[in-house]
Amino acid sequence: MDDLTTIRDFGRDLEHEPPAGLARQRRRLLEETSGRGRRASPGPSGRWRRVTGRTGWIALVAVAAVTTALVVIPNVLLRGATTIGSTVSPAWDRPPKNNEALNVLVLGTDYRPPPKGGAPFVQGERSDLMMLVHLPADRKRAMVVSLPRDSMVQIPECRSSDGRTVAAHLGLINQAYSVGGLNCAWKTVEALTGVRVDHALAIRYSGLEKVVDALGGVEVRLPQAVDEPKSKLRLPAGRSSVDGATAVAYARVRNIGDGSDISRIKRNSILLQAMLAKLSRVQEPAALVSLAQVFRESVTADAALDPDTLLGLALDIQQADTQVSYLTVPWQPFDPEPNRIEWKQPEAAQLFARLAGN
Amino acid sequence: MVLFMIPLATPSLDSELIAESRARPDAFAGLFDRYSGMLYRYVSRRLGPEVAEDLVGETFLVAFRRRDRYDLARPDARPWLFGIVSNLVARHHRTEAARYRALTRSPVDGVAESPAERVAEGVSATAVRPLLASALALLSKGDRDVLLLIAWADLSYDEVAQALGIPVGTVRSRLNRARRKVREALGDTHPLRDEE
Repeated sequence: MDDLTTIRDFGRDLEHEPPAGLARQRRRLLEETSGRGRRASPGPSGRWRRVTGRTGWIALVAVAAVTTALVVIPNVLLRGATTIGSTVSPAWDRPPKNNEALNVLVLGTDYRPPPKGGAPFVQGERSDLMMLVHLPADRKRAMVVSLPRDSMVQIPECRSSDGRTVAAHLGLINQAYSVGGLNCAWKTVEALTGVRVDHALAIRYSGLEKVVDALGGVEVRLPQAVDEPKSKLRLPAGRSSVDGATAVAYARVRNIGDGSDISRIKRNSILLQAMLAKLSRVQEPAALVSLAQVFRESVTADAALDPDTLLGLALDIQQADTQVSYLTVPWQPFDPEPNRIEWKQPEAAQLFARLAGN
Repeated sequence: MVLFMIPLATPSLDSELIAESRARPDAFAGLFDRYSGMLYRYVSRRLGPEVAEDLVGETFLVAFRRRDRYDLARPDARPWLFGIVSNLVARHHRTEAARYRALTRSPVDGVAESPAERVAEGVSATAVRPLLASALALLSKGDRDVLLLIAWADLSYDEVAQALGIPVGTVRSRLNRARRKVREALGDTHPLRDEE
C-alpha cells in the first residue's frame, strides 16, 4: 500500500453522504438564476433566510413601501407564507431524539358538523385516520404504523382552541384532535408511544385531492370492481389510474371491503403507497419543487415542515428508493366496551421502543 | 450520485449546459444536479458535514455568476468547479486545520468498523490515521490542494492544473513534496509502507 492509497482510504473514512439539505442549496441557486438571489440574501443557511423573510414581512406591513415590497414579496412567497401563521409547535416535555430517524405523525381529517348536545369543546373537524410514519436514517425502509381511531387511550392535558385547559382523560385517540387540534394529537401520540415525533401534519380530503392531482393522478389496484353510488365511486377490478377526487372517494368510502375501519386503513395505505410510487417517478426538479409547494399548502403542519424540508424529504425518498411496510399497532378488544380497542402490551410498547431507537 | 434524473432535453456536455445557461439561467441547475453530490463528498472530507452543505451551495452561486467566463472549449466542468471549491475551502482553513487536529486525537467520526474488518485490515488503518491527519494539517495550502484534488477528487494532473490555474509542472512538484512530507510523517511506524 503506498501513501496515496493510504490517503485515499483515510478520505473515504472522512466522507459523508450528501444530505437532503442540499436541495436547499439548489433552491438558493435557482433564486439566484431567477435574479432574486442577490437581493434575497447572501445568508449562510436556510434558517437564517427564513427569519429574514419573516422580518421582511413585518417591515412590509409597517412601512408599506413599494420598494420594500418588491424585495420582500418573492422571498416570502418562496419561503412559504403559510408557515408564518402556524401555531402548531411542540411546547411540552418531549421524548428525547435518539438518532437521525424521522418520525412524522400524519392525520387524515374530515369536517363533520359537531353533534348536538355533544361535549362543548368538540369542534367540527375530526381526525379520521392517524398514522405514525417512521423513516430510518438511511430512508430506505419506511414503516407506517396505523393508530386506529377506535383506540381507547389516555389523552394528556391539552389546551383547546379557545384557550381552555382540558384535563387528562381516558378517551378515543381521535378525540385528541377534536380537543386541541394537531398540537394535542401530537402530544398524545408522543405521550403514548415515547417516540419523538419530529413533525406533525393534518391533511383534509380536499387537500389530499389537490396533492394527488398535482402528482398527475396515481395508480391503484383493486381486487374486485367497485360500484358505490353513494360516493360515486366506480372502478374496474385491476389497475386504474385515478385522479384526486376518485382517489379520495376510494380512501374514504366505507361500504366496500368488509366495511371496517381496518379495511379503510388498508385502502389508505394503498393510496399512500401509490402516491410514493408516483413521487419517485417525478424527475423534473421544477415539478418536485412545485409539488412540495402544493403539498405544503394543502396540509396543516408544524412550522418546521416547510417547503425546503419537504423537498429534501422527497429527494431522500427518491434517492433511497424507499420501500414502505405497513402495520397496525398491536391491539385487542377493550374489555369494558368490546366495540372499542386498546393497544396490546407489551407488543405495542416493544414496537414503539424500536421506532424510538431505544 | 444522481440527485435528480437528468431530463432527456438536457445537453449532455457540461460546456453545452453552461452555454445554454447564458441564455436560460435556470438551466444552470442541471450542473448542480450533476455535481453537487460529488462536491459535497469532497468538501465533507476536508471540512466536515456542517460546513460542506453551505459551501457547496456557495460554490454554485459563484460558478453561476462566472458562467460567462467559462471556457466553452472545455467539455468537463469538474476542474472549474473544484477550482472554485478550493478557493472557498481556503476561507475555512482554520476549520480544516482544527478538523485534522481533532482527528489526531480521536477515532474517525461516524465510522463503525466491525472487529472483522479491523482484523482484515490489520492494525494499519487506525494506527496511521492520527499521523496522516497531522501531516495533512501541516502541509501548505497549495500542496494540500494538489494532493487532495488528486487523491480525493480523482482529478488528473492536467485537471488539477486547470482547477488551480497553475502549470502542470507545478502540480507535479507540489504533489511530490506533499507526498514526501506525508511519507515522512508516517515514518517507519507505517507497517504497510512500500519500499520506494
